[in-house]
Amino acid sequence: MKTLSTRDLKRNAILWVIIALSVTTIPHFIDMPAILIPITLVPIAWRLLAEFRNWKPMPLIFRVFATVVAVSVLVVTYGGLMGRRAAVSLLVMMLALKLLETFSIRDARIVASLCLFLCATQFLFSQRFAMVFYIVACLLSTLIALMYLHRQEAYLPIHEAPDTGRSMFTELGFGLRLLLLAFPIGLTMFLLFPRWSSPLWGVPEAALDARSGLSNSMTPGSIQNLFMDDSPAFRATFQGSVPNNVFMYWRGPVFWDFDGQTWQSSYLSRNLPAETKPSLADAQFRYEIQMEPTEQHWIFALDYPAMVPKGTRLTMDYQLVSRRSITQLRIYPMASDPAFQDSPELKNTLLRAALETPVGYNPRTAQMMSEWRAETSSDAEIIRRALAYFNQEEFHYTLNPPLLSRHTVDEFLFETRRGFCEHYASAFTIMMRMAGIPARVVTGYQGGWYSGIGSYVLVRQSDAHAWSEVWIKGTGWTRIDPTAAVAPDRVEQGAMNSLAERRHLLDFEWLMSARNTLDLLQRGWNNWVIAFGADAQSRLFTIFGWGIFDSARLIIAMMSIIMVAGTAIFLLLPFFFRFRAAREQDAVLKLWQKFIRKLEKAGFTAKPSMGPIELGTLAGAQLEFAANRIEQITELYIRCRYSKNTDGREKLTELVRDFKPQTAA
Amino acid sequence: MSKLAKLRSRFSLKNTVVHRVKERVRIRRGPMAPPFELEYRHIFVLPTIFGWGFGLMLLAMALGGLNFNNNMALMLVFLLGTITQLTTFIAYRNLNGLKIENVYAEPVFCEEIAHFLVFISNGNDRQRFAVQAGIDKPTDCADFILNKQEVMNLTCTTTKRGWLDLSSFRLETRFPLGLFKAWSWIFPHCRCLVYPKPARNAPPLPRIGEGHTGQAKKGDGEQVYGLRKYYPGDSKQRIAWRASARHDKLYSMEMEAPVEEACELDWNLLQENDAELRLSILTAWVIAADHKQLDYSLNLPGKYLPAGNGAPQLSACLEALALFDTGNSIHANTV
Repeated sequence: MKTLSTRDLKRNAILWVIIALSVTTIPHFIDMPAILIPITLVPIAWRLLAEFRNWKPMPLIFRVFATVVAVSVLVVTYGGLMGRRAAVSLLVMMLALKLLETFSIRDARIVASLCLFLCATQFLFSQRFAMVFYIVACLLSTLIALMYLHRQEAYLPIHEAPDTGRSMFTELGFGLRLLLLAFPIGLTMFLLFPRWSSPLWGVPEAALDARSGLSNSMTPGSIQNLFMDDSPAFRATFQGSVPNNVFMYWRGPVFWDFDGQTWQSSYLSRNLPAETKPSLADAQFRYEIQMEPTEQHWIFALDYPAMVPKGTRLTMDYQLVSRRSITQLRIYPMASDPAFQDSPELKNTLLRAALETPVGYNPRTAQMMSEWRAETSSDAEIIRRALAYFNQEEFHYTLNPPLLSRHTVDEFLFETRRGFCEHYASAFTIMMRMAGIPARVVTGYQGGWYSGIGSYVLVRQSDAHAWSEVWIKGTGWTRIDPTAAVAPDRVEQGAMNSLAERRHLLDFEWLMSARNTLDLLQRGWNNWVIAFGADAQSRLFTIFGWGIFDSARLIIAMMSIIMVAGTAIFLLLPFFFRFRAAREQDAVLKLWQKFIRKLEKAGFTAKPSMGPIELGTLAGAQLEFAANRIEQITELYIRCRYSKNTDGREKLTELVRDFKPQTAA
Repeated sequence: MSKLAKLRSRFSLKNTVVHRVKERVRIRRGPMAPPFELEYRHIFVLPTIFGWGFGLMLLAMALGGLNFNNNMALMLVFLLGTITQLTTFIAYRNLNGLKIENVYAEPVFCEEIAHFLVFISNGNDRQRFAVQAGIDKPTDCADFILNKQEVMNLTCTTTKRGWLDLSSFRLETRFPLGLFKAWSWIFPHCRCLVYPKPARNAPPLPRIGEGHTGQAKKGDGEQVYGLRKYYPGDSKQRIAWRASARHDKLYSMEMEAPVEEACELDWNLLQENDAELRLSILTAWVIAADHKQLDYSLNLPGKYLPAGNGAPQLSACLEALALFDTGNSIHANTV
């Protein structure tokens, strides 16, 4: 009878299980609330200590207590157990807590296998290219853990495995070999396995890689975090000409309503469709955008979008709004016409909305603008004057502006005079409105990094920008970028170059350019791997001339292929082995035939009826000078051919090669 | 084993299926006395319980990946799936080509554990790890490196005296991950002799019989056995003075004690009704006699072994006891 012993589980196996769990868990910490991290780490640390100090398994009451505490903290932090993040965090914590009672091979196996499951859940949050390394690390550590566990299980009846030179590196090498062998088949399955065009349950609401993208409101000074974030927002691959950086304004949310602190979009702009659309024929730039998920609804395009991708609509202020929030990588074609004239005529309701300023705010600005109005004759002159004001007075472009209180515009214009695009756009728009010129704030991205190798433009979150649009009768809405008046570099060379100071500790230029170069990989990854779905698959099948399958037919086709191929392989495998054996035999036969040819050259006539013994004897008698050799070769041939022993083959090859009867004659 | 457990094992579906399959395999494969090399058609592969669980987990991962169209999760699933499938082949290769050279067992006493030693050699230079062997459950495990031969130990408990036939045993391996089990049944022609269990409280040895046939014990004793050269330290009383004087050289006498005692171990000496108990007592006597280095003879109904001593006598007697037919037809045991 096998007794249940806690020592079943030897040290190297449990250590590898712990390593596998740690490797798998680390990326999850990024998405977990900080308070849950120590709760996850404590059981892991306890188990490690228990291993080295030979502690006993924790009593049941403690384990139950720990679990209850952990789950309660989780429920309190997330406000429930709903949602994927909460579910995945629960899995992480439960798996860590499971270590408290992992003292047998069975439990250790469960933990190691679930590590792989945990690894898969990580991809609900991030599918970046770097995750490839994560997959490899998880797979290798888990495989090694499973191999150790298997070895211990196998050697349980005799307690101790013999030392046959298997070390950690053997296991590692073996794991790597398995991985390499599995890769081509895995890849084929990846390409051919039928995908579902629509999910069976639960459309993901939380995004993958959710970044702090642009939000649906703008409070000057509140989004400077965005400028610290160098993660990609989207990539644009142009067909034909690429616009100059100065003209690359990627249009995002447009704001009309200002309450003194915060800009918000108006009900009208959100719900009215665009009256006239730029025609595709006039479009000057054609490109394809690969957009990273944002959990928001906007998709981005250069001014003015001439295409409306599937599932989106174009609002009356030319925002492209997707019906569903962007929770997965999205690729859409786009065209833009920068010369498009946006509403040469403006309805009264909109005009009123574009002129509205909060009552009781910013009296000094209002006073200054009424003075300007009195001094100048045209709208254009006021705009010029405002820009000159920004340019000539002591305004600074900085990402660390002082805080503003009630009269944000007044304080900014007359006191602090430090800020970034949001401050300038907001102040400028209010100035215009107070001077009686309809104006609105547009947010989005400006510029981008052009990759020469990939010939695409990479736009990062830190390229976020805000600018103004003023409405001029006859011309329509016109873009004015007040930031350009203060820091022309911001528009010409990008956000990074307009700053004197470093944004954060790791803000080096070389790091940035390295990241830019590496983005090429990420883009390829997105294009070829992440975006591979039912559509891409049917396109792939069309290339092979298989036509377009629907899912049901595809599944049937796959199943039949697998079954036929599987049966064929299993039926043919023995023949293959026999065939290989026959081929090895053939090698010997070929040597023999070569030998006969050499004999014939020396004047011996071999008849088909002769067996090897007869042939050897006769040849030996005829070619007396080589009789010894002939006998030797014949004997060896008979041995190689008719016994299972294959040792003599090399010797036979050598003998036949060196056999030269004609020269001796 | 309790009655219930016995019943359960007799009617268990698994046992029935295993038995049926095993019979078919045995019939199909024909005689396979060692040396015998494992080939393609001898090896079966099936998932282990852990393997099934792992497969279920993969299925769940695949469903999730497909539903959320999560390509990295799918890639992980396909990689893992392929690796699992590869392990079936690796497990198969781990067994394929092993050569069972010989199976052999030393006799044991009943209720001791019988050890069948299986001599297995590696037919080629493939390295094989964690190959397990066992009759019912694996009882031994070995790694095969290069062309080395390994001896694997199959153990089973013995319950009856007589021949214990090893009808079949399993070679199996779950290498490398424990997800799949490749195994093969081997049907060697090997049996182990099981001696009766020596009785615990056997009556004392019957001391009857003449000892002259017995071999004298050299060393101390009363009788002179021979002369040899004197060595310093020999007792003075042992010096053969007369012989020494004749040859002008000191000689010592070598002494021996004749074995007077001997015993006849006779079935009819025992009054017990139970034949097995009689055999058991006789076994205990044989062992005791051998231990005391006495001459002993064994008289069983229908079989007489003349007096003798030493290892050959012991094994002859024990074998006779083990195979003694009490009339209640004793079948050979089979495992």
